[in-house]
Amino acid sequence: MRSPRVVIGGAIVVAMVICAVFAPQIAPNDPANQDLLNMLLPPMWEEGGSADYPFGTDSLGRCILSQMIYGARVALFVGFVAAIGATLLGTTLALLAGYFGGWIDRAISHLVDLWMSLPPVVLSVTLMVGFGTGVGNVILSIVLVDWTRFCRVVRSEVMVVARKDFVAAAKLLGFGNIRIILREILPSVTPLIITLFTLQVGIGIIVEAILSFVGLSVPADVPAWGQMIAQARNYMYQAPWGIILPIIAMFVTVLGFNLLGEGLRVALDPRLRKRNI
Amino acid sequence: MAPVLTFNDVTVTARIERRNIDVLREISFTLAPGGIVGLVGESGAGKSMIGRVISGLLPENFSVSAGKVEFEGADLTALSKRERRALLGRRIAFIPQEPLSALNPVRTIGSQFSEHLRHIGIEKNRHRALMIERLQQVQLRNAEEALLRYPHELSGGQCQRMLIAMAFAGEPSLVVADEPTTALDVMTQAHIVRLIAEQQKLHHTALLFITHDLRLAGHVCRDIGVMYAGDMVEFGPAPAVLKAPSHPYTKSLLAAIPELTGPRRVLPALSDHMPGLASFAGLAGCRFSPRCAVKDSQCMATRLPARAVGEGHWVRCAERCQAAGDAPVGDLIKLPDAASTIPAVSFDRVRLSYHASRGFLGLRRSRFDAVKQATFTVAQGEILGIVGESGSGKTSVGRLIVGLERPSEGTIRINGEERMTGAVHLTGRDTQLIFQDPQSALNPRRSVLRLLTQALETGENYVPEAQRRTAAEALLRDTGLPPDCLERFPSQLSGGQRQRVNIGRALGAQPRLIVADEIVSGLDVSVQAHILNCLLDLNRRHGLTIVFISHDLAVVRYLCSRILMMHAGEIVEQGRTEAVFANPQHPYTKALLDAVPPDNADQPWPPVPAAERASMPR
Repeated sequence: MRSPRVVIGGAIVVAMVICAVFAPQIAPNDPANQDLLNMLLPPMWEEGGSADYPFGTDSLGRCILSQMIYGARVALFVGFVAAIGATLLGTTLALLAGYFGGWIDRAISHLVDLWMSLPPVVLSVTLMVGFGTGVGNVILSIVLVDWTRFCRVVRSEVMVVARKDFVAAAKLLGFGNIRIILREILPSVTPLIITLFTLQVGIGIIVEAILSFVGLSVPADVPAWGQMIAQARNYMYQAPWGIILPIIAMFVTVLGFNLLGEGLRVALDPRLRKRNI
Repeated sequence: MAPVLTFNDVTVTARIERRNIDVLREISFTLAPGGIVGLVGESGAGKSMIGRVISGLLPENFSVSAGKVEFEGADLTALSKRERRALLGRRIAFIPQEPLSALNPVRTIGSQFSEHLRHIGIEKNRHRALMIERLQQVQLRNAEEALLRYPHELSGGQCQRMLIAMAFAGEPSLVVADEPTTALDVMTQAHIVRLIAEQQKLHHTALLFITHDLRLAGHVCRDIGVMYAGDMVEFGPAPAVLKAPSHPYTKSLLAAIPELTGPRRVLPALSDHMPGLASFAGLAGCRFSPRCAVKDSQCMATRLPARAVGEGHWVRCAERCQAAGDAPVGDLIKLPDAASTIPAVSFDRVRLSYHASRGFLGLRRSRFDAVKQATFTVAQGEILGIVGESGSGKTSVGRLIVGLERPSEGTIRINGEERMTGAVHLTGRDTQLIFQDPQSALNPRRSVLRLLTQALETGENYVPEAQRRTAAEALLRDTGLPPDCLERFPSQLSGGQRQRVNIGRALGAQPRLIVADEIVSGLDVSVQAHILNCLLDLNRRHGLTIVFISHDLAVVRYLCSRILMMHAGEIVEQGRTEAVFANPQHPYTKALLDAVPPDNADQPWPPVPAAERASMPR
């Protein structure tokens, strides 16, 4: 568990969660507050910058750092809730398909194949247009697009575990199907689920940024990274910081989740763990 | 004649958790040109490490810290990686343990053989003729066709033949065979051993034969070195080591092997198990001493020198222990008799078939009969043995008995109750199966306590969690596990302990009938003796009916009052154990009995059928 990947990834994730939870305490300014005298201010270390706005201001004179800190709220909320939804839906179907096999497996697997043949971006934009804008609908569309990934990967692992002799032994000891799934199989696939979950949070953050960039996510007065990029786009030659900083925030967050996920995969997989002699 | 290979006080040291541990201690032996030395020991003895010293493929942090390994006069440890690589394949060849994993699955046999020939410096235009000649020498049928096949299209035995042909192709002066027959069936083992011996004689190659089977080594090797926990405890000519073993470990190893002839006596089993690498540091003297019956403070504290006991025969044990270390003679085994007139199991013309869909849209279906027309009974309180090679259907019979498979045809009665065709019947817990591989049969995330009491978690046997500990402690005593292992997980146990937990879990359901599927096949002989005695004890004390499935005839003879021979899904012979062994009726039974290395090392083995003798290369 002490691999550098887990440590660095975990540190980034914890830092981001702290930013999101304690945004009002950490942010130097109110992100909605407009300072019309100081529009498009550069960061404080550039010439003409001000210590009041460490990362400068945008075209409406709002503090970029504060918007970034508040933007973590939306990003992480969408990332976590969408990942939980996709995990629950995908894992449940995967456990049923992998354990029971037969026609249940065929039905679920065909559904997954069919679902995956739809291009994900088209599918999510179509869903958003159908549902209307809003964070809740962003989450719903991510869940509906990404559950298939979970289902496919977890199902194959469940099939491997379900063929192990300890599952047959549990049957012989009189365990029912639900008990076998929950007591014998689920604990064995949990490391995989945790890993996929962590990676899914990163994916969710990117999808949310894309949808808020095109204005399908949060309302205009709520700070979000995608929205910041969309607004700063018009002034990117005069004030490049406005577009670079939210991109960095997104990049670091997703990197953090990916490192953590990859590190956990190695740390939690008994096959990749070093054997004790 | 100068020896081909000399180990001169070779010590291999591993650096584990900032401590230096001697994984091999002062190993010395010589191998003459054309000679055969066998290295025998149980798992963890360090015998494969010797093979790795020769190949230079020691694990990370392991190194040869003292001594010299001389190969044809050159010190192997002083060679550069390049020089050593030049020797491998050309002068030193290896025959691996698992033929299938040693071959590349996506390349044909021919292309892999040809690459090897190129590596040892044979011109391309001679490859084909040479490959066919060599494959014919190892009696691979249709050698020309085999060259075009992929490894998975051949059987394990055929792949091993091909690897033997490859190993001897470069006319090496030394071949190292590391457990070359362990992954194969008994009948195939006899063929492979014969082939290796033939090739060895034909090319006058020196052979280092690594095996866990002392009896097999006795038939194959000229000299035998017995390994224990990184020490070579005894070395000498094969007949001397087998007939007059001098080290207490050799004696107990020999005593723990069930015999194929003579009266059946309870096997004396060593207590405990071989120490792991981490505990080597605490064993300054003889590493066997904690398990030795005749140890004293002197041999526990200091390492004893090698002491000659005969012509070329030495032992690392004190002279005073010479006579005292003999393993005790066990009591005669009394076979259990049927306790009731209702049979525990009765099969009436039972067939088990699998269907496979093939062709366009799976329209063509083909049928494979795993069990054909099986009719037999098992009496209450009896131990029945089912013997057969892999694929004979013996495991399917076991799964049918416990209800994990349903018969396609015929009736199965368990304790007089009919098990319905076409319905999985798993409500009664009075029949349990002990699975072959405890690694797969024990959920790695359950502790020993939760494994042993798994049967008490639900259904009619339900016991509240707080009271389960008492039940688990009783099962520990029944299976001979140490009391402190309840909180441990399967990964923290030794192979033998894991198998006991596996047995204990099945007993936890308080069954009247147990099916044991190859439960000792992966175990060392001293551990095997323990498990067998444990089963005998359970049968005697609790009147447990046991169906014992195995490929090992000696083990079945030791345990079972009646045996059932299976071949290709059919029961070819059944009867009382003594009768079947003394007078086998079916040709398959005869062939199987012939394929086992006999107890007496003087008896020539492997047998050479007359037809093949004529075609044998000279």
